[in-house]
Amino acid sequence: MNKILKLTLILCLVCAIVAGILGVVNELTFDRIQEQQRIRTEKAYAAVLQSDGYEEVEFDKESFPTVDSINKCTNGAGYVVTTTFSGAQSKLTMAVGVDNEYKCTGISIISHAETAGLGANAASTSEIGVNWRAQFVGEDENVAITKAGGNIDALAGATITSRSVANATGTAIRAVEALG
Amino acid sequence: MLTNIISISLGAILINNFIFSQFLGCCPFLGCSSKVETATGMGLAVVFVMGLASAICWVINEYVLMALNLKFLQTLTFILVIAALVQFVEMFLKKSIPSLYSALGIYLPLITTNCAVLGVVLLNVQNNYNFIESVVYGITGGLGFMLAIVLFASVRERVDYTAEYPKCFEGFPICLVSAGLLALAFMGFSGMQIFS
Amino acid sequence: MNIKKQFKEGLITNNPVLVQLIGMCATMAITTTLFNGVGMGLSVLIILTCCNVAISAIRKIIPNEIRLAIFVVIIAGFVTIVDLLLQAFIPALSAALGVFIPLIVVNCIIIGRAEAFCQKNSVGASFFDGVFQGLGYTLVLIVMCVVREFLGSGKFGGGLIDIANGFRFTLDGTGAGIQLFPADFGASILTLPFGGFLTLGVLIAVMQFALTRSKKKKEMKELAAKNAEKEEEE
Repeated sequence: MNKILKLTLILCLVCAIVAGILGVVNELTFDRIQEQQRIRTEKAYAAVLQSDGYEEVEFDKESFPTVDSINKCTNGAGYVVTTTFSGAQSKLTMAVGVDNEYKCTGISIISHAETAGLGANAASTSEIGVNWRAQFVGEDENVAITKAGGNIDALAGATITSRSVANATGTAIRAVEALG
Repeated sequence: MLTNIISISLGAILINNFIFSQFLGCCPFLGCSSKVETATGMGLAVVFVMGLASAICWVINEYVLMALNLKFLQTLTFILVIAALVQFVEMFLKKSIPSLYSALGIYLPLITTNCAVLGVVLLNVQNNYNFIESVVYGITGGLGFMLAIVLFASVRERVDYTAEYPKCFEGFPICLVSAGLLALAFMGFSGMQIFS
Repeated sequence: MNIKKQFKEGLITNNPVLVQLIGMCATMAITTTLFNGVGMGLSVLIILTCCNVAISAIRKIIPNEIRLAIFVVIIAGFVTIVDLLLQAFIPALSAALGVFIPLIVVNCIIIGRAEAFCQKNSVGASFFDGVFQGLGYTLVLIVMCVVREFLGSGKFGGGLIDIANGFRFTLDGTGAGIQLFPADFGASILTLPFGGFLTLGVLIAVMQFALTRSKKKKEMKELAAKNAEKEEEE
């Protein structure tokens, strides 16, 4: 029994030391990680709707479960909606800009894990990605891919990703409309 | 809720199969698939441990790590929980259900280092699943793993006996190529999308 | 153990992926762009080296019964440190690799080297073992990425290299890479999971082919030398 106690003690000691070191590293990197996340979100916001600041507003979470937050532009240009939804392979997080006429001003995918070369093009900084996302500018709540009777050409080989992005954009616009 | 669970299940088993589309758990997948019997045993053990690990880790994550703001200890805690869990399951089975132990026992130690188990726990956190969704994802992810490994074992038995291929492909390479072909077949499921 | 031999073992004759056949999950999953491959490879290299040194330093004081548990705790510690550092300084890489960074904990390469090498060898030897095994792993990842990227989408260096404004390396994963032929002609199937299995399978086959061939050559040489000796004797 004594031996088991000793082994447990050693293991606990090792765990405590490692956890302690991790605590220190966490403390050192914490601010920077927060900062990086803030920069990333701000970049995504600014890419869809330029403003000098954004204020989070209350919305009806029950009716729009996929919407994470709605942020009002302080310069009165409109709203930026962040939404998380399922794509073909993964969950996507996206920022959608909506102006005061309830038209989309642009979309920016913040995080995703879609298939590289296919669905991932939706988020890529390459020409294909940029051109594809540009199609969403000026679309209203009924935005849809051409297969579903809309104006958005689906990405080659990535109909599912394209469809979910289009649907999520529509939902985001409806969420803003529901604000009144 | 129900549609959500169905969509998680189908996603985990077919569309985003742990092996064929996420590459989680490839080592035991290739190591334990030479016979259908061993593959079934390994698959069952994985379903069991993945379900349990999802449940326990969710509780620990929600009520200990998140509550105390210790998010950075997630990886460390999860792997320790999984290792301890596997030990306990092994001891429990040995004492109370010897028949099940003799069937699954030898696979259990291997599961600690199976990245599908740690993977499912981390994905539960990443996807913000609630308790029920986590457990469902764990079990169905395990079922997906089992489906993959059993299918693959039967393919492999045939490849070993009858197929002709260059000698340098003997062993692992031919396995990887045939696994790739199965992955290709599973890609067909990616066209499915449920209730969206 | 000399360094030269360790170098050769890590990179070729005892390469972790191609010969020891461990750590394959991540190898197949993340090798879609050069950025991911290099990032993952270097992360593993750093973690492996640190773990090797730490484990071989304490190898004499840890009780044998719980050594695996202690290895796992130490590995998890280093993995979390690298994970946090990546999130803080190269967030694009951390986002691209996702769960595969924390999953390095269960990457068999690290625990395998700890068990097979660091337990029995000095800190110095373990350090070099970590570096060379890590390099071997990185090398395989890079080859996989280059093959899959080139044949799949006609590109080289996606995420890592940008030539829009002169040649430069991008550390934030935004570089578009060098387009060597139009992406439309690429076999985009290689960027899908199937491509991962296929490319790794073929790579291992090539390795087996090369190894058996060099072994045969060696045998032939020895045989020839023996025959020559015999002839001389006669």
